[in-house]
Amino acid sequence: MVDFLLNLLPHLLNGVALGLLFALLSLGFMLIIGVMEVINLAHGSLFALGAYFAVMLMGQDGGIPLAFMQSYYELPAVPRYIIALIVAPALVAVVGMGLEICLRRTYGKDPLYGLLLTFGAALVLEEVIREIWGPAEYFLPLPKAIRGGFFFGDMIYSNYRIFAAVFAMAMIGLLWAFLNRTPYGAVIKAGAHDSEMVRVLGYNLSRLRLYVFAFGAALAAIAGIIMAPIWGVRPHVGVDAVIPAFVVIVLGGVGSFWGAVSAGLLVGMVVALTAAFLTEWSLLSMYLLLLVVVTFRSRGFAGKASALEA
Amino acid sequence: MNSKSIRNLFTAPMLVSFLVFGTMPFWIDAIGLYQYLGLEVMIWVIFALAVNLLLGYTGLPSFGHGAFLGIGAYAFGLTQFNIAANLWVSLFGAVAATAVLGGLVAAFISHRRGIYFALMTIACAQIFFFIASKWTDVTGGEDGLLNIQRLPLDLGLAEISIKSNFNLYYLCFAAYVIIVVGMWRLVNSPFGKIITAIKQNDSRVAFLGYNVWLYKWIIFTLSCAISGLAGALFAMAQEGAYINIMSLQWSGIVILIVLIGGGFISFWGPVLGVIFYFLARDILGAYTEAWLLWFGLIFMLMVMFKPEGLAGIWQDAQLMFGRRKEAPQACPEPNHAGGD
Repeated sequence: MVDFLLNLLPHLLNGVALGLLFALLSLGFMLIIGVMEVINLAHGSLFALGAYFAVMLMGQDGGIPLAFMQSYYELPAVPRYIIALIVAPALVAVVGMGLEICLRRTYGKDPLYGLLLTFGAALVLEEVIREIWGPAEYFLPLPKAIRGGFFFGDMIYSNYRIFAAVFAMAMIGLLWAFLNRTPYGAVIKAGAHDSEMVRVLGYNLSRLRLYVFAFGAALAAIAGIIMAPIWGVRPHVGVDAVIPAFVVIVLGGVGSFWGAVSAGLLVGMVVALTAAFLTEWSLLSMYLLLLVVVTFRSRGFAGKASALEA
Repeated sequence: MNSKSIRNLFTAPMLVSFLVFGTMPFWIDAIGLYQYLGLEVMIWVIFALAVNLLLGYTGLPSFGHGAFLGIGAYAFGLTQFNIAANLWVSLFGAVAATAVLGGLVAAFISHRRGIYFALMTIACAQIFFFIASKWTDVTGGEDGLLNIQRLPLDLGLAEISIKSNFNLYYLCFAAYVIIVVGMWRLVNSPFGKIITAIKQNDSRVAFLGYNVWLYKWIIFTLSCAISGLAGALFAMAQEGAYINIMSLQWSGIVILIVLIGGGFISFWGPVLGVIFYFLARDILGAYTEAWLLWFGLIFMLMVMFKPEGLAGIWQDAQLMFGRRKEAPQACPEPNHAGGD
């Protein structure tokens, strides 16, 4: 029994790392649902784009073959990685802003139009990635400090998973503080609650929406960069990412921060544990979980009524 | 049957579509296309009409309908291999299997609407997708179910081979005629009025005493059964059943086809959409590998500037050229479904 639990431990840790990353990804998704009332099906593509930009900024295989970039690639790996973690999400945020400008024409209509527009955008972004980087898989090079593994008892455990879990936890904490302890966060939350009222109070709603979309896109990109060494970087990774994000949101309930975090952890655990015992079926478990929970609790763990039910 | 009821059963656009599709194999080569394309168009038209029964008429966005196309294809193959190598039995097997599974899914999701409905259909479709891709003994997994036969069409008096694309096309065309006539009748019946009302305001329909859940369940199951028929025809066309049509991307593309054609405002939207999609695939595809990129951009522009789709453009054109009287339903309200 003790042996069994010890064997289970790495899978549980994997589950936590995966779950925190799912939570980070879904929080960006949820911010966009809250303020824009749009299901952003392109969220996974922004996630993938973040990973590709990071590969580009880290050099090696996917680098930009320009002279001035070569001297940049000679920097040590750690500063390059930090720069990638900042610049890639910023680039994705710009793409997100472009998408938001396209989305403006769907506001106030059936939410289905927003969903369809972002589905089209996801299709386009995936093809753009295929055009630029080709269908082959890339690997994101990592600094030495977070590569490799360590022994825990007599088991090897990957350093990177620990890094990913800690980083995701820190990001979630920062995001919580941003939303709950700053005036900007208050405006975003108010926008999610009643965007018309925010406009009446004199805030520029269009600009708020633009920034929130950019912010959500940047969160997707950060999740993409952190997930890249675990899942690999290929054009189709966007679809693999957007589905867990929506499962987490529906499970946790739209509009609930901790609902999303706990649902993210639950989905991560369930996927990791089924992967340990029934590798083939690991992704199926997520949907079964969703069906069971939603059959009994129609708004997930902590959801409130939202525009999505209209 | 008097002439009025005949006029209700057939409309001018319907007869035009019968004329165009009915003669297609004779001129499709002449315009530089090929017979198999006609077959694909015919099958996808049936599928898109089934999707539009939900999306355009009942306002239920099913983002997982590709799963039912796939289930129909697999069920057709499995019936043929394991029960009887007879066309009618296999077609019945395909339709029955999708109706049963569709009815089961509908039982889980019929109390939902809007985006939640869409998300639940995605979840259910993904479950079917994973089962089909992992249950290798039955479905062949990633390789698919190979060697599905185009069984001879047994009409009692005569047996016709449908091995050629030409003959199979006419089987699909016959299915199209039956489905279009039946569906037109359905959406213009009292039942059709109620599902259209559900689209506009389901609480109000419930207050009037109708069982909204049951209507949604019926229409979802029916739409799945028709998709299953399309899947069976597709299995014969491809001579196999493959997993890719069950993927989320294909389910999304069929929604995209219906919307580009104008399924929200017209019965004929899905037909226009399918023709547009396959022409775009072959014409854009001849110039660039990344034709989906351009198709996606066209779609995005369409959602932004003309969400009523090709049918909406057609109606605008009719208005512009002053044929107001003949223009079918100038669409006084944006959500009105039922013009012809």
